[in-house]
Amino acid sequence: MRTFPCNRNTQARACELPAQAGLGLKPAFFEALLSSEPALGFVEIHAENYMVDGGPFHHYLGLLRERYALSIHGVGLSIGADAALDALHLQRLKTLLDRYQPESFSEHLAWSTHGPCFLNDLLPLQYDQASLDRVCDHIDQVQHTLGRRMLLENPATYLQFRGSSLEEPQFINEVIRRTGCGLLLDVCNIHVSCSNHHWSIADYLHALPLHAVGEIHLAGFSEDLDSSGEQLLIDSHSAPIAQAVWALYQQVLEMIGPVATLIERDNEVPALDVLLAEAGQAQRLLDRQGARQ
Amino acid sequence: MNNKTLTTATLVLALGSAIGLAAMPAHAADDMEKCFGVAMKGKNDCAAGAGTTCAGTAKMNDQANAWKLVPKGTCEKTASSTSPTGFGQMAAFTPKS
Amino acid sequence: MNTQALFSVALLAPQAACPSELFAGDAAASRFAVYRNNVFSSLTAALSDSYPVVEQLVGSAFFQAMARVFIEHSPPRSPVLVNYGQDFADFIDRFEPAASLPYLGDVARLERLRVEAYHAADCPVISAQALGAYLQQPEQLMQLRMKLRPGLAVLTSKHPVYSLWTAHQGIGDLASIHLAQAEQLLVLRDGLEVLLLPLPSASAVFIQALQRGEGFADAVVAALPLAPEFDAGPSLALLIRHSAITELEPS
Repeated sequence: MRTFPCNRNTQARACELPAQAGLGLKPAFFEALLSSEPALGFVEIHAENYMVDGGPFHHYLGLLRERYALSIHGVGLSIGADAALDALHLQRLKTLLDRYQPESFSEHLAWSTHGPCFLNDLLPLQYDQASLDRVCDHIDQVQHTLGRRMLLENPATYLQFRGSSLEEPQFINEVIRRTGCGLLLDVCNIHVSCSNHHWSIADYLHALPLHAVGEIHLAGFSEDLDSSGEQLLIDSHSAPIAQAVWALYQQVLEMIGPVATLIERDNEVPALDVLLAEAGQAQRLLDRQGARQ
Repeated sequence: MNNKTLTTATLVLALGSAIGLAAMPAHAADDMEKCFGVAMKGKNDCAAGAGTTCAGTAKMNDQANAWKLVPKGTCEKTASSTSPTGFGQMAAFTPKS
Repeated sequence: MNTQALFSVALLAPQAACPSELFAGDAAASRFAVYRNNVFSSLTAALSDSYPVVEQLVGSAFFQAMARVFIEHSPPRSPVLVNYGQDFADFIDRFEPAASLPYLGDVARLERLRVEAYHAADCPVISAQALGAYLQQPEQLMQLRMKLRPGLAVLTSKHPVYSLWTAHQGIGDLASIHLAQAEQLLVLRDGLEVLLLPLPSASAVFIQALQRGEGFADAVVAALPLAPEFDAGPSLALLIRHSAITELEPS
């Protein structure tokens, strides 16, 4: 296992996100965040949205980056693909990270490309020895190219492969052990996947390398039924954070202490105040946990 | 038009007037100019989970048959009698596979 | 085929069966549909975001059906979705159910240009003073080439695309638009704002010639067939006022 500094220019920025609540940055919030500068530990962007040459997105991100810690969260690298990583895309990421020097970079345990096509969803992996080796190789390549440690996010899934020979938390554990990357613990995804596949949340959590958690995601999910009438939870990022997810978050904080926590909302995005209230709720739980330690 | 004349006189005049016009307030210089606010979203925001409306359900939206469809939007106000082709003459559209 | 190949082929073809043999459980097909649905609806949302006036013109149901056909035939080739649908206008031109709206493809072109101008590179601008210096050197003016800012574009259409677009911003009346009226416009970003500026046809040709790298005199000459008395002053004023000139050659 190799270790990586958080970036090459370590004097300039701290290596980690502060253990506070943060918010996903939406263009609709650019002006409001700049003018009111609400207390937030950090903001998070989707890397691919900022892979443009210039204009308002870079203008506002540059200004906000002077005021807030920054997390860059990739949604298109396709680390789980059974083909080589897109070197051009990795280079775009490097350019973006070099420019903004974020405190954190994260991506997903998922795949989203096939051949020349980009499928624009975070698709599930068959967990076996071959995919484990491939994911580790890809993460090694990402960390080497970017010259920094990355965080890997646990997925929300709706299907399990017959061909899987490893369980998801064991797979993640092994990836983190072999590559030295960190864990972006999406608490909503744990709730969704464990519910969809009848996994024990306690077993899942205990099998994960929680010492490696560098950030937590909290989001809302939607409920549906599959064709056999079973409840199917969907990671839609379109609803307020559910009570069950808050409870699980609290449980996680008791296990690992305060960690940077993102309020994620990508669809049906409400007014900034509504999201700031959710961030405030996360912050209170973080503060309470911090006081206990 | 003689290119030589264009150079010495017309171009100097055009540039001079351009610089003068450019210094004037926009509405005085050209009242056709209008400013429209642009609010672009991040297109990759859809990727993190389910998309909007019909997304994130186990049911596929009824696949609308494109060949049966007639545009029904604001174009109906536009077209009226001035439409070059009128509506309702839908040719069958077969997606190539 | 391996699992990801089987998965992705079925994902992009709504008529294809779910590869149920890959998955555990009895309800695999309905769960697979969540992924399929996410792909189509998220890409449709990305198109809808880039082409809001096209969507208003045809209505939401038509737009979604048209987007679905487009996505099936032209899935994204890059994870950077802001660039997705660059060929949507060409697709619309060939999409027979939309043939009754011959202007629809050009409205899509206009909306594409807005997105591109919005995200185009920032760059330093030539001041009016720097241009004014050439008034003292008229001998250089004839050959003077003006480089225009990234993302700037001239759209010429056989249809009233500017009027159609502005009518959807609450300006003007749709019913009074003459659909056979040709229109030209300039699309550019000035500061943080994307502007759409209607142009007379000769101005459009003049600016297009400048953009191709032709000298000042040649660009004026190119416009003369459309307007024998063409005065480049107002067009040039537009470019100066909106910080559209980024380099002069010779400088």
